[in-house]
Amino acid sequence: MKNILIGIFIAINLFGAPRVGDEAVKFQLPDLYEKHTLLQSKQLKGKVILLNLWASWCSGCQEEMPLFVELQKEYPKIEFEIVLSSIDNIPQSARDFLAKVDKERVLTSIYDEDKTLPKAYRCPGMPSSFLIGKDGNIVAVYVGSLDENGISELNSKIKSLLGK
Amino acid sequence: MLRLTLVLITFFFMGCSEHLVRVMPYEKEYFAQDKMSLSPLGERAEQEGHIYLIREASAGGESAFQGGCGCR
Repeated sequence: MKNILIGIFIAINLFGAPRVGDEAVKFQLPDLYEKHTLLQSKQLKGKVILLNLWASWCSGCQEEMPLFVELQKEYPKIEFEIVLSSIDNIPQSARDFLAKVDKERVLTSIYDEDKTLPKAYRCPGMPSSFLIGKDGNIVAVYVGSLDENGISELNSKIKSLLGK
Repeated sequence: MLRLTLVLITFFFMGCSEHLVRVMPYEKEYFAQDKMSLSPLGERAEQEGHIYLIREASAGGESAFQGGCGCR
């Protein structure tokens, strides 16, 4: 009986969503603009990352995107990088939207055709953002779109992670 | 003992089955399309509301969660 309960507990933990303090999900996904260029999560180690799971059809995602562009402009990408992971069925929709909001392509964009990241993170809502520390562990999880107040809170967290 | 085990296993697999029927937020692309809304055009929705008001002599019944009795 005890073994069964332990087994169930382990199974739940194994298949549960990653939480704050857990290691971020590893990935290897193509660039949104150049499908032959792959971005691997290990390339991002040593930086503070904001992984944003979004789609062009999601109105909340559309609202927060200009704020992300402004936020990224505050930091060099070697220190802090926003990684957008689009889950659109048609990647061109994501490109078309970003062409309006992020003309300079400030934000790093990858394309997750199979929705592997939202599945792995058990995304409870769209958009979802994960602040990942330099060590690759999740520092904060944001479900839903971030407004200006949310972005300023996020910004202070980024500053503390960068020791600024 | 066996019964308890079976109950626990059933509960465990019920959790798995939820994923078969629940549409996750990241799977709602088709629901987000304009054609999925009851009245895709704003002007048309307004017109439909006006027709409903005249026909039923009540207002506010065009959405799914109100009775349309006009007695609110």
